[in-house]
Amino acid sequence: MKTRLLDNEPIGQTVQVVRVMGDGAFRQRLLEMGFVRGARVTVLKNAPLQDPVEYMILGSHISLRHSEAAQIEVTDQTAEFCDLEDAYNGIVETEVSAMDPMADNVLRVVLVGNPNCGKTSLFNNATGAREKVGNYGGVTVDSKEGWFTVDGHKVQLVDLPGTYSLTEYSPEEMYVRTYIRDNHPDAILNIVDAGNLERNLYLTTQLMDMNIPMVVAMNMWDELEKSGDKLDIEMMSRLLGARMIPLTAYNGNGVSEVLRATMDTISESEQETMHHNVNYGTLIEDCLKQLGAMCPTLDRYTVLKVIENDQHALKLIDAQDNAEEVKKTAAEMRQTIERDYNSDIVSIISDLKYGFVRGALAEALTPNPNRESDETKPGYSLDRLLTNRWLALPCLLVLMWLMFEATFTLGAYPQEWIESGIEWIGNWIGNAMPDGILRDLIVDGIIGGVGGVLVFLPQILILFFFISILEDSGYMARAAFIVDRIMHRVGLHGKSFIPYLIGFGCGVPAIMATRTLENRRDRLVTILTVPFMSCSARLPAYLLLVAAFFTANQGLILMSIYLIGILVAALTAILMSKTFLKHDKTQFVMELPPYRKPTARNATIHMWSKGKQYLQKMATIILAASIIVWALGYFPRHEGQTPQEQIENSYMGQMGKAIEPLVEPLGFNWQMGVSVLTGAAAKEIVVSTMGVLYTGESDATEESTSLKQKLQTATYSNGEPVFDPIVAYSFMLFILLYFPCIAALVAIKREAGTKWMIFEIFYTTGVAWLVSFIFYQVARML
Amino acid sequence: MDKGTIIETIIVFAIVAVALVYVLRRVIKTTRGHGDCGCGGGKNCKHKKPKGY
Repeated sequence: MKTRLLDNEPIGQTVQVVRVMGDGAFRQRLLEMGFVRGARVTVLKNAPLQDPVEYMILGSHISLRHSEAAQIEVTDQTAEFCDLEDAYNGIVETEVSAMDPMADNVLRVVLVGNPNCGKTSLFNNATGAREKVGNYGGVTVDSKEGWFTVDGHKVQLVDLPGTYSLTEYSPEEMYVRTYIRDNHPDAILNIVDAGNLERNLYLTTQLMDMNIPMVVAMNMWDELEKSGDKLDIEMMSRLLGARMIPLTAYNGNGVSEVLRATMDTISESEQETMHHNVNYGTLIEDCLKQLGAMCPTLDRYTVLKVIENDQHALKLIDAQDNAEEVKKTAAEMRQTIERDYNSDIVSIISDLKYGFVRGALAEALTPNPNRESDETKPGYSLDRLLTNRWLALPCLLVLMWLMFEATFTLGAYPQEWIESGIEWIGNWIGNAMPDGILRDLIVDGIIGGVGGVLVFLPQILILFFFISILEDSGYMARAAFIVDRIMHRVGLHGKSFIPYLIGFGCGVPAIMATRTLENRRDRLVTILTVPFMSCSARLPAYLLLVAAFFTANQGLILMSIYLIGILVAALTAILMSKTFLKHDKTQFVMELPPYRKPTARNATIHMWSKGKQYLQKMATIILAASIIVWALGYFPRHEGQTPQEQIENSYMGQMGKAIEPLVEPLGFNWQMGVSVLTGAAAKEIVVSTMGVLYTGESDATEESTSLKQKLQTATYSNGEPVFDPIVAYSFMLFILLYFPCIAALVAIKREAGTKWMIFEIFYTTGVAWLVSFIFYQVARML
Repeated sequence: MDKGTIIETIIVFAIVAVALVYVLRRVIKTTRGHGDCGCGGGKNCKHKKPKGY
């Protein structure tokens, strides 16, 4: 049989996998994702920069770099050398003793499934929570708990991160495995993508071995029905030994049935039951029985892992008296199995598991012979344009521009209404209350500070509505595919894309999302560069300054700020990976989610949760900070001074004057210097501080104007204007790049350590100062 | 200062004090690993680094 490397296969070619070369965790990941002997792979297309390449395997679209595809040996699809169904041995039944579901007075069910199969959608539907969902894997990085009630029983539902398997390849896999082992859930609710059962049921086979009562929810059932494929649910349930329930989580269809089936399964587990396991064939089954008898406390899954030489499983038997004997026996068994199958143990087990899945599906699934291919679906015809070699990057930039332009254009109207409303309230209170300190606090401190930030709520909502649509459609994962080569070149891991994406919303969950990166060095580079992705809290400052000082191309100016953030992150990653964070390039396999029609409901939920968070911040930290900034700018009081002199001699003024020499070379006045300092608590406070400081400057009798107009007319004592487009842009650059807020710094401390947090404060502020300085001085010279 | 001004000043100082305490508490909570993303911290805070990572 003539074999070749997958890397050399032309576009459109379909081949069969012979073997995956090399060793280690990455090889295991490829096997688990379906690159097993005999599996058919189709080469779909090169990314616009020619690397990575999109392949289709088991109905999934997978992105692999050339260097990674070169590790996969393939042969012609017609070659007859292996049939996965040969590895199908059916099931074996294991007696499982009765469980006490109320052992700790809490009924606990865990949600387990592949990334992007809809776990969080089901969790939100079942518990009424509003956790973030997205059409790409890696959105959930830790466990989220909620409650649901069935027949008066209150059940705790735990949403776990998406995982392809329960091996030790990545932190989220270990996390899921440890969580299940340590918390002994009463049932596992395994969610599978009904349109991609073959790959999804691989994880199910591992869960079956854990001997925990399980229900399988087949999500996206509507898509399976639409495809015309027919699944014999009863037969599939019999084979897996678990209830299988159709589900369409995004619209809630089947949720109550899934929850009821879960409760029924828990009730049944109170009696002794027969549990179904994959039959691995006589040799391995005998080994499992023999080793299982030597380790009576371990479940079948862990015993199999001991035979597979899994280091974490081996640690579990260290506590046993016969640990050495068990290890020796397991090693002998491994050698016998490998000799008998003429392959390595990891490949053998993967082949057998996939063999079981394929065999079960051959019995229960009748594919529609006239099934519409992916290529003919509307999303995929658009994909040809969006990932076209020459048009992909321009399309990405145009989409970004449209998003920012729409934010400005559509947001301008509601912004004006809110601005007028705030102005009216300010005037009304100002006229209704007698002159005095309380009136100054309310009008200048609270309304000036909070109102200055509140006016940008429509723009925040519009921007996140568009981001949600792009995420839900599956385009964001394609954006990662398009720019993967660039990320690879600058020394970033492909998985870093997800934290960066989350970073445009908030730096804290983005830093937490780096947990999915396997390597500490990759994690550190990502953590230290994520703060350069402009978070939504900085947006009000840009919106204020762009609207005030740039009359044309506002969308482009805003987009340039975001692009500069990305550029600085890339340069920082190059610098770090070439100096103190050197590391061999990490391999990465990414699944490209299918294109889906975004739903208005999901986009609205996403938009509303962002808006709610913004309003909550407004009513708490921004309000409190505005009051403090006002007090520092109001006291000490001096009789006979103009408002301008009063504020300059205040505590805030003195503080600002002290740091003025540092910010003067950047074109900033002391008010701007103070604003960036107070922004440490939360970036929105930059605007609220300016709102307070500039409102305070105005004459009490002067007709109230918006903060935007106040900035446009602000002058130094010599009559020169404080702001012009150059100063405004330099200020935006500084806000974009300088140190992250306290919450993000604490997240860095927790994930990377105090040393790196301190480094980040100085590094980001140094970069911000340097970039603003160079921009301001060069622009002034021109 | 008349009585009204004194009362007004006391109210303002009380508001500023409450704001100051709030910000300080929030900063302390945040530096202890709670309260990220505006969740406010407390016993139900889910932003602690989970076991296993």
